[in-house]
Amino acid sequence: MTTTAMRTIESTAARATSVTKAYGVGDAQVLALDDVSVDIESGRFTAIMGPSGSGKSTLLHVLAGLDRPTSGEIHIGDTEITALNDKQLTLLRRDKIGFIFQSFNLLPTLTAAENIALPLRIAGRKPDPLWVQSIVETVGLGPRLSHHPSELSGGQQQRVAAARALASKPEIVFADEPTGALDSKSSGELLKFLQHAVRELGQTVVMVTHDPAAAAHADRVLFLTDGDIIDEMQSPSSDAVLDYMKNLGA
Amino acid sequence: MLQANLKGMLAHKLRLLLTATSIALGVAFLAGTLMLTDSMQRAFDELFADVSSGTDVAVRAESNVDVTAGTDSRPPVPKELLDTVKGVDGVAAAEGSVEGYALLAGSDGKPIQPQGAPTNGFSMPENSALLGDTVLRSGRAPEGPGEVAIDATSAKKGDLALGDTTQVMFRTAPQPFEVVGIVGYGENDDLGGSTSAYFDLATAQRVLEKQGVFDSISVVADEGVSDETLRDRVGAALPEGMEALTGQAVADEQSAAAKESLAFLNIALIGFAAIALFVGAFIIWNTFSMQVAQRTRELALMRAIGATRTQVMRTILVESVVLGVAASLLGVALGVGMATGLSELMSGFGFSLPQAGVSIGIDVVLIGVAVGTLVTVVSAVAPARRATKVLPIEALRDAAPVQPRFSKRRLAAGLVLVGAGAAMLLSALFGSAPAILIAVGMALVVLGIATLAPLFVRAMASVIGAPLQARGLAGELARQNAMRNPRRTASTAMALVIGLTMVAAVAVFAASLKASFSDVLTSTKADLYVVTPTSQSEGFSSEVTEAVRDVDGVGVVSSTGFGMAELNGSVQAFSSIDPPTAEQVFDLGMVSGSVSDLTDDGVLVHEKLAEKKGLEVGDTVPATFGTTGDKQFSVSGVYSVRGFVGTDYVISNAAHDVANPHRLQSNTMVLVEDGESISTVEQRIEEVLLDHPDATVMDQKEFEGALSGVINSLLGLVTVLLLLAVVIALLGIVNTLALSVFERTRELGMLRAVGMTRGQVRAMVRWESVVISTIGAVLGAVLGIGLGLALVRSLADDGIGEIAVPGLQLALYVVAAAIAGVIAAIGPARRASKVDVLRAVAAE
Repeated sequence: MTTTAMRTIESTAARATSVTKAYGVGDAQVLALDDVSVDIESGRFTAIMGPSGSGKSTLLHVLAGLDRPTSGEIHIGDTEITALNDKQLTLLRRDKIGFIFQSFNLLPTLTAAENIALPLRIAGRKPDPLWVQSIVETVGLGPRLSHHPSELSGGQQQRVAAARALASKPEIVFADEPTGALDSKSSGELLKFLQHAVRELGQTVVMVTHDPAAAAHADRVLFLTDGDIIDEMQSPSSDAVLDYMKNLGA
Repeated sequence: MLQANLKGMLAHKLRLLLTATSIALGVAFLAGTLMLTDSMQRAFDELFADVSSGTDVAVRAESNVDVTAGTDSRPPVPKELLDTVKGVDGVAAAEGSVEGYALLAGSDGKPIQPQGAPTNGFSMPENSALLGDTVLRSGRAPEGPGEVAIDATSAKKGDLALGDTTQVMFRTAPQPFEVVGIVGYGENDDLGGSTSAYFDLATAQRVLEKQGVFDSISVVADEGVSDETLRDRVGAALPEGMEALTGQAVADEQSAAAKESLAFLNIALIGFAAIALFVGAFIIWNTFSMQVAQRTRELALMRAIGATRTQVMRTILVESVVLGVAASLLGVALGVGMATGLSELMSGFGFSLPQAGVSIGIDVVLIGVAVGTLVTVVSAVAPARRATKVLPIEALRDAAPVQPRFSKRRLAAGLVLVGAGAAMLLSALFGSAPAILIAVGMALVVLGIATLAPLFVRAMASVIGAPLQARGLAGELARQNAMRNPRRTASTAMALVIGLTMVAAVAVFAASLKASFSDVLTSTKADLYVVTPTSQSEGFSSEVTEAVRDVDGVGVVSSTGFGMAELNGSVQAFSSIDPPTAEQVFDLGMVSGSVSDLTDDGVLVHEKLAEKKGLEVGDTVPATFGTTGDKQFSVSGVYSVRGFVGTDYVISNAAHDVANPHRLQSNTMVLVEDGESISTVEQRIEEVLLDHPDATVMDQKEFEGALSGVINSLLGLVTVLLLLAVVIALLGIVNTLALSVFERTRELGMLRAVGMTRGQVRAMVRWESVVISTIGAVLGAVLGIGLGLALVRSLADDGIGEIAVPGLQLALYVVAAAIAGVIAAIGPARRASKVDVLRAVAAE
């Protein structure tokens, strides 16, 4: 299965239509997202970039069903998640979405292996052993699987978190500043893993980052400023992203 | 700085609320108990002061022995003395009076038996000045042999109105009287819960068997003569053996005696309060430990920007003092409700108390606030010391609360506490150490186990939580959450352990007591028992025994009595028996001598006592009785089975009658004649006793049931009081869970984000609560069985020879604790399920 093969399918994994997210009321109202519309393609690695306060995390949260937009519609696959109640949304997250957070968020009482299987256990499903094994191998955690999070380095913990996000074969994986708490070596390893998950395992990944080097691992970069997508870049390089960001800041 | 403190406290409302609640509840129990006992004491003070307010000086015989229990503790006053007293300068009026046992029957013919208070007959003073606050509410004073005035409470309870006829029971035969007056005492309807029957002096002297004598002479002083002056003048005119006191002194004495009879109750209530506060202290300690752990970062930040350890400690100290004082004040206020509730509760179980209304005394406020604040400050400072020992930068780096390791010092401290506590407990139970060491020892054992608990609580949680794994992920995570911080789980469970230990110990004790009673009963061979209708009665008239004796089919009749006297130098209880028949109805297990050898100058002593005092058959035992003074007994025998008589000394009924002519009988055992059916004879006795409502007849089974009934109702009350401590402990579980949920916000958010439903989150918190409460209950039940068995063994010589562990009952307690754990988890579980996913997962 190659990248080109996946791209020819060109289906949409997630879609935002005229999404607005407002905080506060009246004069104090702040628009975190201002009429955003975007399609996230299946089988691609999409990065969302923007300066602090641009609304990039908010966009990720509403796309992932963690937060509700003030107006507009969000689709995950064919499901309009803005119409779902809390229970339906929770089950959708459980079955179709994977998450990677900046601060790892592993359960300290569980081993690495148990943390990876957590979403499947919550759903009461049996993990697909071949799939899990291939993820674990890719992520390079083999000998550490029986360790508790407190016995792992930050990079290792985040790789556990990434493996957890992929273990249930989700339709889409959302990563919120996944390299934010990692050193550059660990960051590089994690991003390579995400890249591999998209290109070799056919996964769909959406990542919020403020790091041009991280964004350069993506197939497509969306640029957000003041709550709106102002531009995007295909197959970015680190330098191109950095230059663009410099212009944005100017 | 203070302002920053206060703002900081208010910023964490939940934390504040939970801590304040635990302090307030502990203090409320203490304050409520103090208020209740204070109210009871004031009730007696007011009552007796009211009643004797008309008497300026009282004359009576000096007491031979300091026996406060029962009436007739003094010799009589000869009637000739009245003229002597009247002749003293400054005496305006003087009157003789008598009092004694008189039990009223209601309109249904059943005795009006007050709970835990005497049933008195009095002569009514003729001089209105001597009545004091005793007022005739309606009708008139009794005149002549057939009239009685009764207190308002008895009139109400017995449904008696003016003109009605009531049967009044005395030591002699019961007699009918017409109710001619209803009496009140100021605003009170009765005298401290007792019943009162008033007769004119001559009638009272006749029915109370005090013809030609008085119990005391009440004196009214002339205008301008002080009570003290008159007391001294009257005193000077009295012969040897008589004394004069002011009315106030008599009131104080009566009040003190009434209070003394309630002293046991006071001690018990204070004991419960201490248990509640002890439980409360655990919760406060735990709450503060968790808070300080959660605040480690905040404290570290303060240190990083230059605050010294002392300054940080001072901050926490100020916080805890402010919180302690405020919450304790709230607790004192809640105590009013607690006092009212307790009193309602006790009367619900048939133990009603006289009350002067609950009021908040300054001493209660001071004690409540001092104790509450002290516990709070100590609980706050210890974990704060730990927290400030952490290097600031470490704390800032590590967001998770630091989990201290279990040190050898902790192990040693725990073992020493348990060892010392157990030693104290056992030496108090089986040795000669004072009884207070039972409480101190128990507290030390509990503290020691709390210190050691982190060692084994993980394993317990693992075992108890094992079945939860079958309940899917929520159950498994719950089990692991209960295991992840053994210290916290341990101290939360310990609060429950204390309550459960007490409840379980009481259950074991009561079960053993009941088993022993049936054991005692098997040592008796009686077919039928004639006893008082309620356990609260002093006894019944000797007429009852005579009437039973004449019933067809009755073979052997053997009665027993019970009294107090100074024996061998100390005031204690003794029993009296009928020597010729006693051995036919029960077994004393004579070691030497024989029951039938017991003469009217003889005494039987218990084996243990004989050993201790070196008494043998033929030795002399000096005795002093309240009414009749000194007497010498010689030991006729030594017995080993204390069971049925229950005392260390046994004398003959005849000797008892001589020593106290006004005594009542407590139990009469009957053997039916050969060939007669027990139930037929029982029916015949029942018919005869219709004329003697102060006694009733039971067969062996009913007798056993009646004894169990008394134990059950006492057990019920004690258990309910202890359950309050359990409720406080459950609040501690709510506290711990709420703070754990707060601490795990991020974790819960992640679980919700990756698809855990609200129901699953609630189940997780709920099961954790069940694991913690079950740990507490199991540990408490085990400790309680140990304590209960120790108590029972220590009383083996006092008639509790049997050991019984009510397994089913204890298992029910554990199940109930688990269910209570589910209830405790409702709030925290809701909170956990509503965690804001975004706040939990978003980068800081």
